[in-house]
Amino acid sequence: MSQSETPLRTRWYTKLFGPGAASGRALVIFAPVAWLTVFFVVPLAVVFGISLAIKEFGRPPYSDLLTVGEGGTVQLTLHLSNYLRIITDPLYVTAYLSSIRIAAISTIVALLIGYPMAYFIARARDPWRNVLLMLVILPFWTSFLLRVYALSGFMRGNGVINGLLGIFGIEPIQMMQTDFAVYVGIVYTYLPFMVLPLFTTLVKLDVSLLEASADLGAKPWQTFWSITLPLSLPGIAAGSMLVFIPAIGEFVIPSLLGGPSTLMIGRVLWDEFFSNTNWPRASAVAVAMLLIVVVPIMLMQRAQDAVVEGRTR
Amino acid sequence: MAKKPQIAAETRPWRDPDAQPFVRISGVTKKFGDIYAVDDVSLDIYKGELFCLLGGSGSGKSTLLRMLAGFEEPTVGSIAIDGQDMAGVPPYRRPVNMMFQSYALFPHMSVAQNVAYGLKRDGLDRTAITERVDELLSLVRLEGYGKRRPDQLSGGQRQRVALARSLARRPKLLLLDEPLGALDKKLREQTQFELVKIQETLGVTFIVVTHDQEEAMSLATRIGVMNEGRIAMIGEPQDIYEFPNSRFVAGFIGSVNLVEGVVTEDEDDHVRIRSAELGCDIYVSHGVDCAPEQILWWAIRPEKITLTREPPEGDANVTKGTVEDIAYLGDMSVYRVLLESGKRLTVTRPNLHRSDPDGITWDEQVYASWGGFSGSVLTS
Amino acid sequence: MRLDAANGRAHWNVTPPGAASRAPFAPSLLTFAKDFEMKTPLALALAGLSLATPVLAQDQVVNVYNWSDYIAEDTLDRFTEETGITVNYDVFDSNELVEAKLLAGNSGYDVVVPSGFFLERQIAAGLFQPLDKSALPNLENMDPEVMESTASHDPGNEYGVDYMWGTTGLGYNVAELTERLGEDAALDTWDLLFDPATVEKLADCGVTMLDAPAEAYAAALNYLGLDPNSETEEDLAAAEELLASVRPYIRYYHSSQYIDDLANGEICLAMGYSGDVFIAEAAAEEAGQGIEIAYTIPEEGALKWFDMFAIPADAPHPEAAHEFINFMLRADIAAANTNYVYYASGNEAALELIDEEVKSDPAIYPTPEVSENLFTLNAHTPQYDEMLTSSWTRVKLGQ
Repeated sequence: MSQSETPLRTRWYTKLFGPGAASGRALVIFAPVAWLTVFFVVPLAVVFGISLAIKEFGRPPYSDLLTVGEGGTVQLTLHLSNYLRIITDPLYVTAYLSSIRIAAISTIVALLIGYPMAYFIARARDPWRNVLLMLVILPFWTSFLLRVYALSGFMRGNGVINGLLGIFGIEPIQMMQTDFAVYVGIVYTYLPFMVLPLFTTLVKLDVSLLEASADLGAKPWQTFWSITLPLSLPGIAAGSMLVFIPAIGEFVIPSLLGGPSTLMIGRVLWDEFFSNTNWPRASAVAVAMLLIVVVPIMLMQRAQDAVVEGRTR
Repeated sequence: MAKKPQIAAETRPWRDPDAQPFVRISGVTKKFGDIYAVDDVSLDIYKGELFCLLGGSGSGKSTLLRMLAGFEEPTVGSIAIDGQDMAGVPPYRRPVNMMFQSYALFPHMSVAQNVAYGLKRDGLDRTAITERVDELLSLVRLEGYGKRRPDQLSGGQRQRVALARSLARRPKLLLLDEPLGALDKKLREQTQFELVKIQETLGVTFIVVTHDQEEAMSLATRIGVMNEGRIAMIGEPQDIYEFPNSRFVAGFIGSVNLVEGVVTEDEDDHVRIRSAELGCDIYVSHGVDCAPEQILWWAIRPEKITLTREPPEGDANVTKGTVEDIAYLGDMSVYRVLLESGKRLTVTRPNLHRSDPDGITWDEQVYASWGGFSGSVLTS
Repeated sequence: MRLDAANGRAHWNVTPPGAASRAPFAPSLLTFAKDFEMKTPLALALAGLSLATPVLAQDQVVNVYNWSDYIAEDTLDRFTEETGITVNYDVFDSNELVEAKLLAGNSGYDVVVPSGFFLERQIAAGLFQPLDKSALPNLENMDPEVMESTASHDPGNEYGVDYMWGTTGLGYNVAELTERLGEDAALDTWDLLFDPATVEKLADCGVTMLDAPAEAYAAALNYLGLDPNSETEEDLAAAEELLASVRPYIRYYHSSQYIDDLANGEICLAMGYSGDVFIAEAAAEEAGQGIEIAYTIPEEGALKWFDMFAIPADAPHPEAAHEFINFMLRADIAAANTNYVYYASGNEAALELIDEEVKSDPAIYPTPEVSENLFTLNAHTPQYDEMLTSSWTRVKLGQ
């Protein structure tokens, strides 16, 4: 924008998007902002609003926040009881903790399996690398639900695994409806989200750094610990977040594979909403879940920044 | 810079037939698929040398260096360092360190941590490491930079960190891959001095890979010119320049005038060559291993040719032409002389005076002449 | 499922695991597919704003929301053939789910089939429109006794009409139970499920319960000799204690998964709906792997329930809805459905068209003595329901 065109009063989009926001650029930024507003901010506000109501039997099944009283006085009624309940009822706290535990263990297992996979794919020669990458992505082409169902075919009492064990005379193992099955399901489903970011960082890793390390007397495992691993931390962080965050709120996998004692917040949420028709509490659970998800993101972001910037000063 | 002659005379073990080489490369070939990256190279390098492997890209010089470091295994042949066969010895067990072209500094470590990296692997204790790191940083004049990270350094500083890091473990042999390649010209010249000084101080054997002939000339005790995976010539810088053994070497190092000719006289003490291109006979004042009627090539450096307005004496080693072009370079001028045959000679003359109103100028008829020892007769 | 033409008898072809023809993946999957949409908080929020299901040409479509495994295979085709109205058919497996959708509003459904004790309070909440009886001439086919019973939920039968009725009892794998409990053990008692010492012996072969708090607590209260319709806190606590005491032996709580699992031997005892257990029985027979499934109305008594056709207040196609319900009340259609899904019909006129085998099965049409012990449920107040559901959550999670 040239000097002559700039009016004394700053245009609104300049305020929003900074100086130099010509109309084309503003449009480009406007689209995602609009998208986020319509499909994220508004629904979130709706959910937050409902979470401050209380359950009522009727349609909609929750109390009004705003009521018009006599003489046109508008009264705003906000209930914090749902949040209080979430904090005080051990069920919710336990469910959150259990979700975090399941998500954390799944993330660690996915990392332990995904890292070597990503490493070898990144080190594979060219035609093979693409084939292997394709194999990692391939499961996405089938329905997620179908894949989880197929897993139950492996793990059920008279399923594939127990069939194999039976050949060796081993008694069937109860895998379905256990936490084990949930871990298998989550790790299996989210493994690609771990492998892909790890692959991206590992493939960018400068081979000459590894050679330099070997040249300076580091054995292969020393090179791995002091060079490869620290330099792939951004990939580890990204992959772990991509697994951990959706795993916390996972509903389908524990429902299909887990037992009644597999306590996850996604199921509690579902129960509150569909079995108990308690929208306000379900909304409060959802808002609390969002906080629980956002906090680790911020912590990890900070940790990552520390890794990148650290050691400097 | 190359060592002073009197020192060099005492330290030219390659001239001593009984001397034991420090690095012995014998019959080494490296194939990548069907491509010969290095093709039957044999090379002896002696303790204390600063040996330059000089060649264009794809000449195999870097592959040879990587085989010395242990990153590649020879397909055929053997490499021995300090009398020990290196076959199957992984990089981390070789008494060798390398300075990488990209420097390969660990981006997540400070300068001090980078330099200490090799020392830690050697199991040195903390105080010994700190001492050695300080020593190295002062060697490369980077005192006080220990806490910085590589991305906070200039290119020249990074180059010096890389050097310090590669010297940390007191390697017997240091491999340097295009050590000055990433620096600008001025810094490069300055760093060349430092590199030679450090090499002399520490007495480490250096093998430097470079594509820059000037760098090779100024650094090396000896140069190995590589071409298409083979060694084209090994020799001291002066030998390479003044006595190239082939048209490739003559052409690769410096500029040269190259003409074809036929041997007309072949005596023990001289050779006469008739060159249609030059339009005159070439009289060579020493014997050459050739036969009469043999077609061969003769090369002469631009600064070895004299230009005069008057014809010099003698029937040979003089030809006539017109000054077609003059390039003034400051310290000297480059003259392009068009001969009657259509061949052009490049001649350089030092600018001895600040101005020379009577100097040879454009379109003048001139005689180009040279001495009997000035050119090189090349049979390949 | 398919129609077995050879002996003129309908069979549910719930395929054993590994069989190639596992195409529809059982109705429970459909339910999950729907549930899956509700996974994220965002979707949850959007559910409130959601638009109705696609509306084609007015009155050319009827959107039906029925229990899973609850209709003969060709019924919908016949309806479309005769009326030209396309049916969008969707299934659920719990009353709570239906209620959640109806309360959310704009469900887009024209016909839903909740159980009487849920219908009752849903009527009170204004979720339904009164039936236009002039558009339902086939009402005259209805069994007056059934109509009398349903009138307790819906005075005057203004809003709903019974589709089928059944009981909530126990389905079990005969061989597995006999092996674990002995040849002489009584298998027609709630002890199987509610006596910890007994159910413990069955835990390893798999025991499941419906994920339906109203019915679970009713059964527990009845077992304890208390009034199944009690809404007192003490009784609730007693029932909770009973349910919690057997909780360690329950593999899962789910209202449709057990059909498949009973049939292929994954589980050996399920608290379930009568007809669903029969479906499992037929499927097991079909699979031919020697698995024998049986259903019992325990001697202590069991819940008798009525599933009621009703039209949501905001149904987009009420006329088509009436036409659909009227069609379902036709004697031949009602009989065909009962012959297929083994639930007793509320349709008197259909009785003579119902297979003798079905009609004479006391588990479907209980004998008068057994009927003595059956009880019905009234609608719970929302206040009690709140207590009930949180109690149920505690039980399920073993907290």
